Amino acid sequence: MSRFTLLKKAKEIGVITERYPYKPTKVPEGFRGKPEIDPEKCIGCCACIAACPPNALTSLDENGYRVIRIFYGRCIFCGRCVDVCPEKAIRMTEEFELTADDHEELVQEVRLKLVRCSVCGRYYDTERHYRMILKEFEEAGLKVDPEVLRRCPEHRMGMSAEVIGLRRVRK
Amino acid sequence: MIKKSIWIYHLNTGGCNGCDIEIIDVLTPFHDAERLGVKLVGSPRHADVILLTGPITRQSMEKAINAITAAPDPKFIVAIGSCACGGGIWYDSYATVGGIEAFYKILRERGVKPPKVIYVPGCPPRPEAILHALAYFKGLASKKIKKRVFVEK
Ligand code: SF4
Ligand code: SF4
Ligand code: SF4
Repeated sequence: MSRFTLLKKAKEIGVITERYPYKPTKVPEGFRGKPEIDPEKCIGCCACIAACPPNALTSLDENGYRVIRIFYGRCIFCGRCVDVCPEKAIRMTEEFELTADDHEELVQEVRLKLVRCSVCGRYYDTERHYRMILKEFEEAGLKVDPEVLRRCPEHRMGMSAEVIGLRRVRK
Repeated sequence: MIKKSIWIYHLNTGGCNGCDIEIIDVLTPFHDAERLGVKLVGSPRHADVILLTGPITRQSMEKAINAITAAPDPKFIVAIGSCACGGGIWYDSYATVGGIEAFYKILRERGVKPPKVIYVPGCPPRPEAILHALAYFKGLASKKIKKRVFVEK
């Protein structure tokens, strides 16, 4: 092989180097980039937090809010949170340019309001989840005393017999 | 941040090699980091930037400290991958320090001034994500991410 063959070959193939930092690049189909929580859809059920292998997703109840927090610095982009979310509130975006100067920049936080138990006054569930359950009861045609749902699980226990009794009577 | 060409030193502190393969990708003719003046060097004494991968295992910590202190000032660290940025899947393992934050705390305790760090999350990050960080050093690319907080009204 003479060196001209090589030159010819090089001319034939041309430049293969990408132009990336100067020109945007495409990601392959099905690429898992940064997961993002849609704050309008999330109900604060914490299913994603239980599923996240490295605990990049965490939750904390403080000052009447449930904080769902995702730290991209620890996320392994596995997509398990997307699989388990009942509201389809998380999706994998195609963003991968996550260069940051500070680890606080790699955070997304969703703060959802909590409701208090009407007996003991402690926070026990998010307002969105409470409204959702109320709606589901309505749609199923079950009449439920809203007072039952306004109680924390412990204080609801005493009432449940009563509620079940009511259902039987209605039937 | 750095005007001159960046010389990089590749330091694996116990990662799974996924990130290391992506760093090698960045240096191949396809991604070609040398376009940006980036050159891989064999000794931390020649390096401006240390590309650190892995969650810093207890076995590798002393060597990592040696390599970081050997680099001349001004020096920077690029934490590549979720392991380096926040400990990744091994963040609470007994065998690792648990990422760069915890590592820097140890450095401070020992009286070593920790260099400035740039985070590149991903498991592993795409070669383009590493190129983006290197371009950010040269002022060719801007930061795309910031903290977002949503508070329900
Ligand atoms: S993609 Fe995986 S690691 Fe990242 S937040 Fe979701 S479950 Fe956690
Ligand atoms: S699983 Fe979905 S709805 Fe539940 S807390 Fe996570 S993001 Fe919100
Ligand atoms: S971030 Fe992921 S790919 Fe990189 S070293 Fe850690 S486990 Fe491996």
